[in-house]
Amino acid sequence: MSAPLVSLKGLTRDFSTGAGFMKPRRTMRAVDNVSLDIPRGTVTGVVGESGCGKSTLGRLVLRLIEPTSGTINFDGKDIGTLKSSAMRTMRRNMQMVFQDPYSSIDPRYTVQKALMEPFQIQGSNLSKADAAARLAELMAMVGLNPSQTGSYPHQLSGGQKQRVGIARALALKPSFLVLDEPTASLDVSIQAQIIGLLEQLQADLGLTYLFISHDLSIVRYFCSRIVVMYLGRIVEVLPDPQMMPQHPYAQALMNSHFEPDPTRRKHVQILKGEIPSPYNLPAGCAFSARCPAATAICHSKRPALLSDISGQQIACHYPQS
Amino acid sequence: MALLEVKGLCVAIGRLSPLDNISFEARKGEVLGLVGESGSGKSLTAMAIMGLLGRITGRVSAGSVVFDGAELVGLAEDDYRKLRGKRIALISQNPMTSLDPIVKIGAQIDQVSRLHLGYTKPQAKAHSIEIMKQLRIPDAETLHNAFPHQLSGGMKQRIVIAMALAASPDLIIADEPTTALDVTIQAQIIQIMVDLVRERGLALILITHDMGVVAQACDRVVVLYAGRVAEMNTTEAIFAAPQHPYTAKLIGCIPSHAQAHGTLLGIAGTVPGVGSYPVGCRFNPRCTAAIEICSTNAPALTVNAQGFVACHVANANIGAAL
Repeated sequence: MSAPLVSLKGLTRDFSTGAGFMKPRRTMRAVDNVSLDIPRGTVTGVVGESGCGKSTLGRLVLRLIEPTSGTINFDGKDIGTLKSSAMRTMRRNMQMVFQDPYSSIDPRYTVQKALMEPFQIQGSNLSKADAAARLAELMAMVGLNPSQTGSYPHQLSGGQKQRVGIARALALKPSFLVLDEPTASLDVSIQAQIIGLLEQLQADLGLTYLFISHDLSIVRYFCSRIVVMYLGRIVEVLPDPQMMPQHPYAQALMNSHFEPDPTRRKHVQILKGEIPSPYNLPAGCAFSARCPAATAICHSKRPALLSDISGQQIACHYPQS
Repeated sequence: MALLEVKGLCVAIGRLSPLDNISFEARKGEVLGLVGESGSGKSLTAMAIMGLLGRITGRVSAGSVVFDGAELVGLAEDDYRKLRGKRIALISQNPMTSLDPIVKIGAQIDQVSRLHLGYTKPQAKAHSIEIMKQLRIPDAETLHNAFPHQLSGGMKQRIVIAMALAASPDLIIADEPTTALDVTIQAQIIQIMVDLVRERGLALILITHDMGVVAQACDRVVVLYAGRVAEMNTTEAIFAAPQHPYTAKLIGCIPSHAQAHGTLLGIAGTVPGVGSYPVGCRFNPRCTAAIEICSTNAPALTVNAQGFVACHVANANIGAAL
């Protein structure tokens, strides 16, 4: 097997709120010691609920925000130490598709201008003919009608806007895309269209994706590997999306997902408690306060992420198989 | 017997007619799902039942809404007020905006039973705390004295449900009650609401676009498309053998367990806007099974051996044929 395209080691990011009058500075760890390899040509899915650090992880991988500690290797190079000009060149190979196509495209830019902007930023002086050819190619790739080159975002539907977002990310022919909930703000029918498009592009262009989502049905369908996060930490890695999770939180997450099939109805186990405040995490396992299987050790000692023979990684003192 | 009977309901807003001939019924002890993409008229149907169309300068232009034997269309606002919250309750999509941020949670739940049931302050408080406990809200006594901003989204939605239940209504309309919530919380709220229907014999109209939620929670389903009923049936029948191409496609938008790669299709195009509905069947420009008549004549909602469907090419094998 070839070396992974992206390799993260001990990636950590802290955020702190500013101190004020009579108010101490408070720090929360949004991403905590995450190590992860993203193999070439695969789709790695990151799932978790809001506040689990999945979007922060996506931004860290592209160095849109700086890690507090840890390293990011892209194609064998440590990009954590690159200067901003070198990083900009590097970003040709790594792009992001954002969640909200309504706010990620400048409302005063036409589709053409939005799609040509990456070339200007990268200083690639395309001839007029080349630019027109590349524009037509990009629009065809994502299924936009050529007559829409002059349209403004408000003239496009949500699905079309997200297609522009994807075309923009693909403009510089990157090999790696971070997809941060690209379908969360779209209707189900449009969501399925966009997932289908992303799937086809991945196969045609041999892309590598980091797909961030809270929707398990989509992640199971789309990804070849699933990473489950809870409060900044990886709690489980499933090397096959059809595998059953063993971490109690990952199990609760799977059990909360309803299949579109009335013959597979579930009885929902009500988890006790709420997600704890990230400013005030428990000492041991972050899930210990809500976990039905927790004992004394779970409250005091943090479980390490360990691999079993099948390649499944679990951070739990009492994995439930 | 049906608790709520909507018959041929048409809604007009100015010159536009966003709802056309909607008919369905809600029964006690049953969860009725109202599904469709955004713009299909789900929320508008709820507003029409609740008599809230005046707020958006809309009106019922034809049809009737009969609740427990009484006609609601044309009901005086004063009489509607006695009904809303007491016999019909609405749970809206976003719990963050349905609570008053500067009034304590307890006071907000209490006012429902004080207004509709004539409870005194201590009676109302005891009643509210009991409902909060039934909804498995931990530490109900303390939370009764808290402000909305001190609660998480899932807990706020439970408070909104507690408000809806406070006067023991017969019908609850929940308009996408879990869309703004995380998956584990969503599952719990759905479970709580289904349990309530079973335990109390309530009628619940659950508005959602999530076919997974429909499969999990609903007994019967009404599929709306562009302001018309496309199909109506039991949940089992709708999923096992959808008769309308739209229903089949909508179910196909959610990947099922172990679905093969490259087989997720979606539905090409988008729901037409209210002013630009196509002639004939409103789904025909997006339909892959459409024949000539579909673009000229609107299909009527008819009943056949399998259920209710409004489609010229309806048949129980349509899902396999698409």
